[in-house]
Amino acid sequence: MRLMVEARNLRKTYKRHDGSTIEAVKGVDLEIRQGEIFSLLGPNGAGKTTTISMISGLVEPTEGDASIGGFSITKQPMDAKRLMGFVPQEIALYPDLSARQNLAFFGRMYGLAGKTLSRRVDELVEFVDLSDRQNDRIDTFSGGMKRRINLAAGLLNSPPLIYMDEPTVGIDPQSRRRILDTVKLLREEEGMTVLYTTHLMEEAQELSDRVGIMDHGEIIAMGTQAELTQQVGEEDRLEFTIGAQEVAEALLERIQQETVGVTRILHNPPEQLSDESSESTPSRLTVFAKRGRTALPQIIQNLDAAGVEIQSVAVREPDLEAVFLALTGRALRD
Amino acid sequence: MRSILTIILNDLKIFFSQRGNLPGLLVIPVLLTLVIGWSLGQIGGDSGPTRLRVDLIDLDQTELSSELIDDLRAANDALVLCPQDNDADDYCRLDEEPLQLERAVERARSGSSSALIVIPAGYAGALEGFERVDIDYYSLSDPLRPDPVRQSLDAVLQRASSASMTTGVAGALLDNLTSAIELPPLAAETRAGFLRTLYLRSQEMLTEQPAPVRFRVADTASDGEDGSMNGFNQSAPGMGTLYVMFTVLGGMAVLLRERRQWTLQRLVVLPLSRAQILGAKIGVYFSLGMIQYFIVFAVGAAVGMDFGSNPSALLAVMAAFVLCITALTFSLAPWITSEGQARGLVLLLSLSLAPLGGAWWPLEIVPEFMQTIGHLSPVAWAMDAFQDLLWYDGGFPDVLPEIGVLLAAAAVLFAVGIRSFKYE
Ligand SMILES: Nc1ncnc2c1ncn2[C@@H]1O[C@H](COP(=O)(O)OP(=O)(O)OP(=O)(O)O)[C@@H](O)[C@H]1O
Ligand SMILES: [Mg+2]
Repeated sequence: MRLMVEARNLRKTYKRHDGSTIEAVKGVDLEIRQGEIFSLLGPNGAGKTTTISMISGLVEPTEGDASIGGFSITKQPMDAKRLMGFVPQEIALYPDLSARQNLAFFGRMYGLAGKTLSRRVDELVEFVDLSDRQNDRIDTFSGGMKRRINLAAGLLNSPPLIYMDEPTVGIDPQSRRRILDTVKLLREEEGMTVLYTTHLMEEAQELSDRVGIMDHGEIIAMGTQAELTQQVGEEDRLEFTIGAQEVAEALLERIQQETVGVTRILHNPPEQLSDESSESTPSRLTVFAKRGRTALPQIIQNLDAAGVEIQSVAVREPDLEAVFLALTGRALRD
Repeated sequence: MRSILTIILNDLKIFFSQRGNLPGLLVIPVLLTLVIGWSLGQIGGDSGPTRLRVDLIDLDQTELSSELIDDLRAANDALVLCPQDNDADDYCRLDEEPLQLERAVERARSGSSSALIVIPAGYAGALEGFERVDIDYYSLSDPLRPDPVRQSLDAVLQRASSASMTTGVAGALLDNLTSAIELPPLAAETRAGFLRTLYLRSQEMLTEQPAPVRFRVADTASDGEDGSMNGFNQSAPGMGTLYVMFTVLGGMAVLLRERRQWTLQRLVVLPLSRAQILGAKIGVYFSLGMIQYFIVFAVGAAVGMDFGSNPSALLAVMAAFVLCITALTFSLAPWITSEGQARGLVLLLSLSLAPLGGAWWPLEIVPEFMQTIGHLSPVAWAMDAFQDLLWYDGGFPDVLPEIGVLLAAAAVLFAVGIRSFKYE
């Protein structure tokens, strides 16, 4: 299988304003095969954008290198960049220009001109379903529409490889659906290789052939979804939302010992959401159990007896969330 | 190269599509140019920044020598001849002491007078006898540069010499005629009277003709139209220079915005080299600066500003200054962290460097130490060069030093700016 992207020991150390340093990416190895959708899944600040920036030539790695279709991004950046499209996490468009003007400008930078250019722009506004708004200024667009033009701008040169950095951030469910479908379409119809980053497990799950789970600047697990979920075994995950209350350690220990199949219990105490608001996240209990549904009644009984108020319960089959939880002890979305 | 042009054109398109940019580019500088040009024209005569103190020692003391003096006054009423034309305020700074040759030479050498003209004894006789005569001229001014006093003197002397040549030729002709056709010899007195009339007449005719050397000085406010025109010669370059700073330095905020909105980063991931991107961005602000100059100078042209006769030298000065300010913009841009901070810095820099360097009023009217300090501002060098070109109709060689200083400053600032330019 041909490798489209091959990164070795990528490292990036940033200097902060106060002179201290932060290691945003700590030695990442990455292999993305031709024609696959590869997701980088990780919470905010995990280092996804920094990684993409390094393998796209935007940021120079402090250490390491990546080759794109055989071209080193640090030594042959022009050849490497010609192979890739880039959909940044920010809406990287000129707000004062129309959608069409934006696309035409970036298209010209790829050397397109005249009829070829205008045909390509036509295709793309059609592709993201914004033909009727193409002559409106970007700053009059909704978030979802901006995202779609942002995506179209990454496709101008019909690249064999595209990076999409959280392309669904901050948009409504319909626009999100549309973008996810677009990604699948690109792979199926154009045979594109896609590197997709997200902090949403559902997106990674729906799209990817393979997933890299990232946390604190490192890829902590990588493989197909099946390979990854196997790492956490056959366990189901029982998620209890229990309101803002204390839970005695002794109670948790008792549940783990007395209930058949329970292997582990995680307790996430309530968190203050921000300094100003009095709101806080509800406290959460996560119970890992071999046959979750069988174990459930007894756990509820135990909690009830101890006076713990249960607001909701969910039973989850093994998934990427469980992998992240198992590896880091934290939930992905926190 | 095509990519660079495409980026420049795109950025200019964006600049002009933002209506908020137009007052600063068009309306305000145009208004200020007109208002300031007009007011400078009005006050020019009173404050007389370019009245010139010229010592004149007449050792001949004849009718012809005093005619020469009158001619000098007429040729350029900016000249204050000392001690002849000293005023009640002692503009000549004579301190009621006589002006001896020795003292006058000392004054010219130290620059406390603009020039010293010495009319030698025997001037009239030499002129009448059509002989060579030397008028001594002392001045600190660079012999290569147009010097208003010397130009006036040249013009006057040329007329005197031409007139005396006329009489010389006429005298010879007269003598030949009388001997050839055996007319009775003329009485000496009649002959002298005849030649004298001829001299005066030819002087008169030469004066009526357009003078071979024309000279203009700022403060001719007695003559209204001329005065305001000269005002625009100060205000158009001044306001152009000030607004070039506003417009070009404003690029600091735009470069920050382009990083914030990630359009700069998108350029970086395109198959473009960093040099191309940087070159294009420099090109954008350089173009904007030149456009700003053209706008203000176009207004100047419409109200009769004088551009001198050296458009290429003028363009070179404009380009050197715009390049210098572009470099300043790029050297500061990496340290900018908010648009508000950028705006504050633009105001601070423009409003301190412009008056310091003489964009609002000519530097000649401020004390000498302020003129020296003023030359820390690139504006002063640009204004000096404009003055050479617009007032004194200088050429390339006259403005080369100023262009050199501006380009050297640009090189240093670019070195700083390019090294620390932020692409993300
Ligand atoms: N230019 C920078 N200077 C200093 N620190 C930076 C810079 N860019 C990123 N970082 C830090 O590096 C770490 C990783 O950031 P990065 O943007 O790569 O994360 P991410 O996974 O993309 O997060 P998100 O989901 O929020 O986009 C963060 O702690 C961030 O604060
Ligand atoms: Mg990110």
